[in-house]
Amino acid sequence: MSKRTAFTFEAAPDLPGSDTLSKYGLAIIRAAVDRLWDVTVEGVENVPLSGPGIIAPNHLSFCDSIFVPAALPRRVWAIGKGEYMDSWKTKHIFPAMGMIPVDRSGGDAAKAALETAARVLNQGRLFMIYPEGTRSRSEFLHKGRTGAARLAAQCNAPVIPVGHIGTLAIQPPDSFMLKPGLACTIRIGAPMHPDDFGDRNDPRTLRAFTDAVMFEIAALSGQKYVNQYAHGDDTPGVLAHADRPKIARPPRRPSPSLVGGGAGASGGGTNAISPPRRKAPAIAGATKIIPE
Amino acid sequence: MSDPLHQARRFGHSSSASEPCCQIRSDDSPIRVCPREPVIRGFIEPADAGDILNTTTALNIATGLNGHPGASVALIDGDREVTYGDLRNQVDSARQLLMSSGVSVGTRVLVIGENEVDFVVALYAALGAGATVVPIKAVNPFPEVQRKVAAVEPDVTLLCATADWLNERIDELVLGETFVVAEAVAAGDVATAPPIVMRDVDDIAVMLLTSGVTSDSKIAMLSHGNLDFVQGVFVADTEVGVTSDDVAYGVLPLTHIFGLNAVLFTTLRVGGRIVLEQRFEAMASLELVERHKITLISGAPPMWQRWALCDVDPSMMASVRYAVSGASALPIETFNAIRAKYGITLAEGYGLTETSPAVTWTRGFESRAGSVGKPLPGVEVILVDPDGTIVEEGDTGEVVVRSPGVFRGYLDSPEQTESVLTEDGWFWTGDVGVFDIDGYLYLVDRLKDIVIVSGFNVYPAEVESILLEHPEVRGAIVVGTPNALSGEAVVAHVSGEVSVDELDAFCRERLSRYKCPTEYHLVEELPVAANGKLLRRALRS
Repeated sequence: MSKRTAFTFEAAPDLPGSDTLSKYGLAIIRAAVDRLWDVTVEGVENVPLSGPGIIAPNHLSFCDSIFVPAALPRRVWAIGKGEYMDSWKTKHIFPAMGMIPVDRSGGDAAKAALETAARVLNQGRLFMIYPEGTRSRSEFLHKGRTGAARLAAQCNAPVIPVGHIGTLAIQPPDSFMLKPGLACTIRIGAPMHPDDFGDRNDPRTLRAFTDAVMFEIAALSGQKYVNQYAHGDDTPGVLAHADRPKIARPPRRPSPSLVGGGAGASGGGTNAISPPRRKAPAIAGATKIIPE
Repeated sequence: MSDPLHQARRFGHSSSASEPCCQIRSDDSPIRVCPREPVIRGFIEPADAGDILNTTTALNIATGLNGHPGASVALIDGDREVTYGDLRNQVDSARQLLMSSGVSVGTRVLVIGENEVDFVVALYAALGAGATVVPIKAVNPFPEVQRKVAAVEPDVTLLCATADWLNERIDELVLGETFVVAEAVAAGDVATAPPIVMRDVDDIAVMLLTSGVTSDSKIAMLSHGNLDFVQGVFVADTEVGVTSDDVAYGVLPLTHIFGLNAVLFTTLRVGGRIVLEQRFEAMASLELVERHKITLISGAPPMWQRWALCDVDPSMMASVRYAVSGASALPIETFNAIRAKYGITLAEGYGLTETSPAVTWTRGFESRAGSVGKPLPGVEVILVDPDGTIVEEGDTGEVVVRSPGVFRGYLDSPEQTESVLTEDGWFWTGDVGVFDIDGYLYLVDRLKDIVIVSGFNVYPAEVESILLEHPEVRGAIVVGTPNALSGEAVVAHVSGEVSVDELDAFCRERLSRYKCPTEYHLVEELPVAANGKLLRRALRS
């Protein structure tokens, strides 16, 4: 039930990449995707046809960056590595496809990326961001980064959750080539606004909004959600331990692995802790005692 | 960067990171002062932390009464004014009597009273004798007093005026040797009163029954050093530090750490004045504020809620220069109402008995609605995952605290102590919070109450607050229940004249799908703890 998404080209002379190259490049890519794969797009009506929007898909394969944009009715921009601008093979075509190069080597790469994204959104365009931050090597859906929520609040843009299935088979992690002929489904959810989640200056709102977006993505992609960030050392079905500073847990703390508390205490030392105590001797002076 | 915690420092002022946070004053007084700049969410260089935590300076917080002009007023209780001179005389007299009766270092002294002069006298007298003091409220149902007395097992008991009524059933209480405070004051001899017995920083000064209810109530041990540290921060020489010119409103129970350390000990330490009151009554309390030109108000949300509703001239609070709300979350509407009505920006703080009590405060910087402020200078606060991993910036985690104010453990309960306190001094509060990018802390809920639905955290407090927005809902408790599909599911217990369908529609409109209760129980009454808080635990399956 392959269906071609109606597409309207938006000129963007003030963003990187040639409009002409983009127009023909996108047309070729969309036509190729349509012919080589059996792509099903659901919920395309959820993408606003004008005004800003943040496309937030799950991320399993490198080719997500081809299939998700090809499913949208409008041009979409995203952040890409600055290194692509060093190669003659990619320096023209990638920006034309919507990649905005951001130098990741600098100290404030994240800030630069967010500023770039805000610029795109403030022009009323679509911006795509993978809320997991990186490709999920575990194949689970990971905890979302709050960047999309921040952007949404800052630019008054809705977040549009996207869940897709099938891109991993088309391009497995170790493969450079895309296997043609396979099926892929891209489901687009209803737009979500952070202001529905409370005071936008409250950090609890950003987290609640991000979690809600991830919940919708999980429902669309069918992935199991894990409340842990994606990590480069994750392997399918197995989560790596984050390499972050850590303190020792209290020795008798109930186990953290349990869902919903109710854990019992486990063994430990028996050092009684109490202040040194001495019983008061019998009364020495003429004092009043109750009862008489 | 061998210390992993260095990497966790995010919100600090790098310029002040190498500056010692606390120092001993050069005049040899045991008062520690802190610089104005908070250090990295309270981070202290490990070397300096060692200095603070291992100080062996002799001190006794009972010395806080000394040195203030004898003629200046210390306490106001109704129409009665007690000067520092008078207060010291009473305390010395009672101490003389207690010490001559054998009260000394290590004696466990129970003080039963309310916010009254006797109570203050009893505390300072017993502490000055070197004893360990356990204060409990006098005005409580007899079985509760009985249960608390039994838990404390006092050697000696001091009865304040408000504890008179216990005389009728005194045989049913195991109080040890018992003194009536007023009589002890009268019988003692000021002239022969021995000096205050100095203690070590780590010696236990006060033991407090935590508000943990009934079966799991614990007795937290606080050292002289613990209490002294927090007082020191409050009275630090800054534009907002408590001074001898301040008049504090003393309505919070002095048997509770907030009233005891943040109000009583702190104010008297600098020679300020305390207006004691046993019962909050909105109008009468406002008149007290106006009459005594109260400058500092420490209150709980219900007080502010009622003051917000008073139809009075807002100038009644004109003398107030600092007003704080603690004990539980302050509703944003109340915060706004007080600001609109009285022009007072309420400062929120956060603390626990186990931290003497201050962890965060809002003093010297703007309040933010919904936030409990930033860590006090010298208080390190980190947010961690259950395995101890420090969470990333902007993420929620359990609030874990290290400071010289962190308690010495629960009395006779190494198991309970070891479930919250580690050898390296971190106290795990059991509260979940999140910092904003400027280092303000926002609390989310109790860790053990979190419901995990399909891997997503659901905080019952959030769901309960939505349910309470419904006009027909009187009370709501949200808990988790095991569920084959999602791991856990959200269950709401609601009292009020409302149908399940209506509640369901109401929640679906306002909450993410996974946060919506899948089960509603309409009940007549919800279980309430002795302290008035609703009891989630009783409904957890």
